[in-house]
Amino acid sequence: MCSEYIEIPVGPQHPALKEPIRFVFKIDGELVVGVEPRLGYAHRGIEKLAESKNYVQNTYLFERVCGICSAAHTTCYVEAVERLLGVEVPPRGLFLRSIIHELNRIHSHLLWLGILAHEIGFDTLFMYTWRDRELVLDLIELMTGNRVLYAYNLIGGVRYDIDAHIESQMRKVLSYLRERTEYYKKIVEEDKLIRARTVDVGVLKRSDAIILGAVGPTARGSGVDMDIRRDDPYSAYEELSFNVVVYKEEDAHAKTMVRIDEILESINMIEDALNKMPSGPVYVKTPLKVPEGEVISRVEAPRGELLYYIKSNGTERPERVKVRTPTLANIPAVCKMLTQAYIADIPVIVASIDPCIACMDRITFVDVRKEKVYVISGRELREYARKWYKGVKK
Amino acid sequence: MSVIDLLINLIEVFIYPGVIFVVFISLLLEWVDRKVYARAQNRIGPYYVGPHGILQPFADILKLLAKEDITPGHVERLEYLLSPMLILYLSLVGIFMIPTGAWGSGYSVIHFEGDYLLVLTLATLTTVFMFLTGWGSFNRFGAIGSLRALLLIAGYEIPLFICAAAVILEAKTLCLSKISAIQGGGIWFLVTQPIGFLVSLISIQAELERIPFDIPEAETEIVAGWLTEFTGRKLALMRLANDVKLFLFSSLVVTLYLGGPWFMGQANIAIFLVKVLVVVILTSIIRALFARFRIDQALSVFWKYVIPLSLIQVIMSLFIG
Amino acid sequence: MSLSMVKELFRTLTRKPVTRKYPYERREIPERFRGRIVIDYDKCIGCGLCARFCPAIAIKMVFVETEKGKKRKPLVQIFRCIFCGQCSLVCPRKAISYSKEFELATYNKEELVLEPKSSEKG
Repeated sequence: MCSEYIEIPVGPQHPALKEPIRFVFKIDGELVVGVEPRLGYAHRGIEKLAESKNYVQNTYLFERVCGICSAAHTTCYVEAVERLLGVEVPPRGLFLRSIIHELNRIHSHLLWLGILAHEIGFDTLFMYTWRDRELVLDLIELMTGNRVLYAYNLIGGVRYDIDAHIESQMRKVLSYLRERTEYYKKIVEEDKLIRARTVDVGVLKRSDAIILGAVGPTARGSGVDMDIRRDDPYSAYEELSFNVVVYKEEDAHAKTMVRIDEILESINMIEDALNKMPSGPVYVKTPLKVPEGEVISRVEAPRGELLYYIKSNGTERPERVKVRTPTLANIPAVCKMLTQAYIADIPVIVASIDPCIACMDRITFVDVRKEKVYVISGRELREYARKWYKGVKK
Repeated sequence: MSVIDLLINLIEVFIYPGVIFVVFISLLLEWVDRKVYARAQNRIGPYYVGPHGILQPFADILKLLAKEDITPGHVERLEYLLSPMLILYLSLVGIFMIPTGAWGSGYSVIHFEGDYLLVLTLATLTTVFMFLTGWGSFNRFGAIGSLRALLLIAGYEIPLFICAAAVILEAKTLCLSKISAIQGGGIWFLVTQPIGFLVSLISIQAELERIPFDIPEAETEIVAGWLTEFTGRKLALMRLANDVKLFLFSSLVVTLYLGGPWFMGQANIAIFLVKVLVVVILTSIIRALFARFRIDQALSVFWKYVIPLSLIQVIMSLFIG
Repeated sequence: MSLSMVKELFRTLTRKPVTRKYPYERREIPERFRGRIVIDYDKCIGCGLCARFCPAIAIKMVFVETEKGKKRKPLVQIFRCIFCGQCSLVCPRKAISYSKEFELATYNKEELVLEPKSSEKG
């Protein structure tokens, strides 16, 4: 073989990726020998924008960080602000918040199952899972008025209560979904072709998962037993009984089984929450000005641990909000999984961490070449650009 | 030969059952394929263009013909430009040797001893041209796709030829028209060679690059494989070539195993088309049922399971014949 | 290949497809749906809370001539609206609500601005 490797770029536009991210693969025949990720294509400046809006407006801003896990983002943000304010949300509100959070998880995992099926060429399974996902979206629309971007969590509680009609509809849909998910579980376990494409593909050893900081189902598929809902409970998770799903096989198949079992667990959790639901108000009014302080809040988003850091300075606008999303924590792990893999496995491996690039692009670059860290103001940047393009005819 | 003969030949070659007829039927078969695939997935498929979407493939080809045809700068012009046309023409030539039952005769437009082997060779040639065109398009994804297409030949060619040997042993002739005529007078080879039928069906899926063997064109992995650099008219020709190949191979299976255009002693083109329809529906269902193999897995499936099955079939037909 | 997949496939082949033939068939819109904004300008007292809390900065307070003199009323640029519902939550007189209209695409930007007309009352 020649010593020079061929470099294959994947992204930023590629049919395998749902969102723009750039990987440059060095390949030797069908084998990948090196990976270089390049992030930042979906960077939108949300954290800076949050500093110019008040806390109530920011709830809607952070919901739009990611359309698929929007409930997780609002839950995390809202719980952080409530902790700074020192308010107690009424228990019925907390239960409803958990219900929406779990519904969001079910829809996200069903979506992901379809995407994985599409990546391995199994469009039929893709269509089936997305058809069942429609039922979850219809249920969410019944509860909140919208299918994506619900605007349901507010600082101090939730927006709407559920009545008996919504509850009975929910139970019907959930029992049907449980049947369908058992069926998908059987297919993923038994189908020889799906097994051929996912077993022993994208292996991430348990020690690597811990060192590289993998979170969520990526880590739980490698035997790492961590779940924020159990280790650091928020909303109503202390009252709900559930199992944390961990598989030891370390490959893409294990991650798939983790997510399918999580769907079943979420269905159980919602029914548990509906049974144990306390009565009372769902919302309590909160003051607009937030006292000075710093807070970190974590939730278990469908993709892993989501972290919000908020620093407030006593006014109605936050001083700094920092978001650390789970996909960013999984990127070093996916680079490790991609080396020594076949080209044909690249889509499956990238899909197995459930990448949500829209969530992820929130990093600042440091100019390593000039070996200094500096901050440029907007005005200086514009001056610099004008000098650079001076003399360029328009 | 007289002017009348010349005229009849021209009509046979170009109109019926020649080029225009074949193109028309291939586009209809594409519609059937898309509808069955969609219905298996709980979708509608084409619906709005023409009654129940039957004109959708025609609309697609017309639209592509009208689009801009871009040739990238660095391509190897000869391979890149000639190959799409050659793939289409070779497939069309292959169809002339299939007995379609047109004009009530059980003979194809061109028939001679050994036309069966010629059809198979033409099929392989089209894949070689697919490789050339992907390689000449100066594109990484095209290069990978064309290499995979060549690799796949090592998988499906052998069982296809071995099953051909099995059929030839039983029919004792190398002419496709005679093979189907023998079945018209007796029992279909589907009954005497069911393994061969199964093996041929699987190999055809690989030849046509359909799921579970659409590796050279895997959308999520290498954009569009060897098709990546095609736009406009060239893409239209390629899509048409794909449909014509679908018609060619399903009619090959019909001729070999389902008795061609013969039924109850009569050779009729309507019977032939119905049988082709059944085979196409079967392949669409296979397409909906499976995921995509990786190239090494596909080759191992062929060498571990399909080729031994075809060898068994040949040995069996030695004893039957 | 699993047998259960084959059974499911044949069942689906004979079932009616789930595609809804939009726009020839439309579905029912649930009650809590937030479509185009509707403001009852008679109930509005001009407090300006809606403009203050709109995350998309789609609401501006403008002065309007009424019987009782100049009053502040909200003007909504619906093309900026993100349909979050915060304005109706925060309105003290419940003057803001939502219609079920969501097919708002237009070639003409002026159609998507809700202006307070000078009313006879206040």
